Amino acid sequence: MSTPSDALGDEAAGLEASDLGLAYGKHTIIEALNLSLPQGQVTAIVGPNGCGKSTLLAGLARLHTPSQGHVLLDGQDIQRLPSRALATRLALLPQETHAPEGLTVSELIRFGRQPHQGWLRQWSEEDQCVVAQAMEAADLQGLADRSLDALSGGQRQRAWIAMTIAQHTPLLLLDEPTSALDLGHQIEVFELIRRLAAKGRTVVMVVHDLASACRYADYLVAMHEGAIIAEGDPRDIVTPTLVRQLYGIDCTLIPDPETGSPLLAGIRRASS
Amino acid sequence: MNSYSSSDVAMKRSADRGPTLHGPAHAPNGTWCLAWSGNGGQQHSLLIDRRGLAANLLLALGLMASSLAYLSLGSLTVAPWELIDVLAGGGDPVASFMVQELRLPRLAIACLTGAAFALSGCLMQTLARNRLATPGIIGIDNGATAFAVASVVGIGVVIAPPAMALAGAATATALTFGLVGGGGARGYRFIVAGIGVGAVFGAITQLLLARVSIDVANSAYPWTVGTLNARPSNAVAALALGLPLGLLAALGLSRALAVMRFSESVAKGLGQPVNRRRHQALILAVILTALAVAVAGPVGMVGLIGPEIARYLSSSRSVPIVASALAGALVMVLSDLVGRTLFTPIEVPVGIVTSVVGAPYLLWILLRTSRSLA
Repeated sequence: MSTPSDALGDEAAGLEASDLGLAYGKHTIIEALNLSLPQGQVTAIVGPNGCGKSTLLAGLARLHTPSQGHVLLDGQDIQRLPSRALATRLALLPQETHAPEGLTVSELIRFGRQPHQGWLRQWSEEDQCVVAQAMEAADLQGLADRSLDALSGGQRQRAWIAMTIAQHTPLLLLDEPTSALDLGHQIEVFELIRRLAAKGRTVVMVVHDLASACRYADYLVAMHEGAIIAEGDPRDIVTPTLVRQLYGIDCTLIPDPETGSPLLAGIRRASS
Repeated sequence: MNSYSSSDVAMKRSADRGPTLHGPAHAPNGTWCLAWSGNGGQQHSLLIDRRGLAANLLLALGLMASSLAYLSLGSLTVAPWELIDVLAGGGDPVASFMVQELRLPRLAIACLTGAAFALSGCLMQTLARNRLATPGIIGIDNGATAFAVASVVGIGVVIAPPAMALAGAATATALTFGLVGGGGARGYRFIVAGIGVGAVFGAITQLLLARVSIDVANSAYPWTVGTLNARPSNAVAALALGLPLGLLAALGLSRALAVMRFSESVAKGLGQPVNRRRHQALILAVILTALAVAVAGPVGMVGLIGPEIARYLSSSRSVPIVASALAGALVMVLSDLVGRTLFTPIEVPVGIVTSVVGAPYLLWILLRTSRSLA
């Protein structure tokens, strides 16, 4: 049970991949993959370019139909869920976000309510409440009437995340939410993601930068050539061997003096 | 389901008073919220976009004004005050004949075809997320024309022109999609393929006309330029029936269309069965184009200019369905008025007027787009 008094918190939902295979035509990307995502935590999927991490996220969000196996949401196959029912339980922020010209921040966030609305149910007090909370959570109150085109990269990304927050789903899937953002804007977005997880949401994100993933994720999934080669708490699983397997580089790992999360130092190309 | 403890109370309070217009305190900026409770006690609400409503009213007023001008101007000018008399059934018999028998039916046809072309254009532009992707530019008009001309000049099976136009429009669309392959209605590839298909059908039309006697070719001539002069009445009836239904269907799709302006994965993430909705909207656009071509021939540019005016006047919150139809009708009425009156007694077909107006506009869009891409 949840009330609109807190748009950020919601019941947890379990998402898992069972024997999952994903392919583009005859080109298999992922084969027989099993993964269970920890509820109420931030999971980061990392790996080199082309390892299939974005494909996996697309499969988990039903953008991609499996060639084998299933994706289960609370034990139900997501392929069998009606589109709208899925959208009230799982929100997605894809990498390619294109918005109509001139749309304002608050108008964008209101689109997040669409799965809860209908032709004769276009606006409720709950909608109003959840949109206001999403805007507050993403720290966008002052920008509500600004056009998306007029925002900085970090602000725009926060507006898109606010739209997925307004969808009011227990599960949030984000595909490289910080790509193309400078360091300050990256931290802005990662801290928002941490706040969402602290409120009980399950967040899954594809992250390019291993150090950020270690710093902001509770659970790390490392992928290589379409398979998971390690998963668990980043402090336990990130080792020089794993980094070498993933990216072909040698490095020394030192714990962050403030947070204890692993940092990569002395990076160089692997001797062979 | 979630329970909405605090909001339940507030919603019931407003429901007790029956339908209420919420002020800015409840409705989002720029909208009015009309809320009422249904028979089963469930809450209903409609959001009325103020800017969209203002755009529709403005366009409706413009359409009425230009319709009056359309009825009064021409080889015989009927003053506006006489017009009321004539429309009521009285007045001068010559003026009465002019207005009732000639101008009024033609005005209705201009409104119907203009609305259908523009609505179809609006649907296609939204589907393809590209303002160049109107039925006229991607060859659907030409496909419909080629088939209709084939039936007029008596080649192949003799079916009524509206049915032939529909078959042609569907064939051209299917060919375009077939050439693009899996990519769907996205990007310049789709538009380029459409232009190619349109060119092929244009050539087929010319070939058909070149092979028949001059009298038959003359009878098929209106099909090739787009005109409102002496149109087939069965085709008009089909359009008069199809347009209101198409408008309703488009309104039913409007919430899905609003989300489909985002990238495909965003639309899917928001719970829209995108592929199904895209097929529905595409079929609707093809039918509307075919119905309009069967009446007026391929009147170019209305499908481009109509939605463009509508978008300019409306807000970006939604897809301007009604405004596009109104703007298309307005463009068509004004263009035909110009075509009828500019060089009297010679009549310029409406398709030529819209092309003369639309071509510079198209160039401007192309140049502006390529500059923003650079």
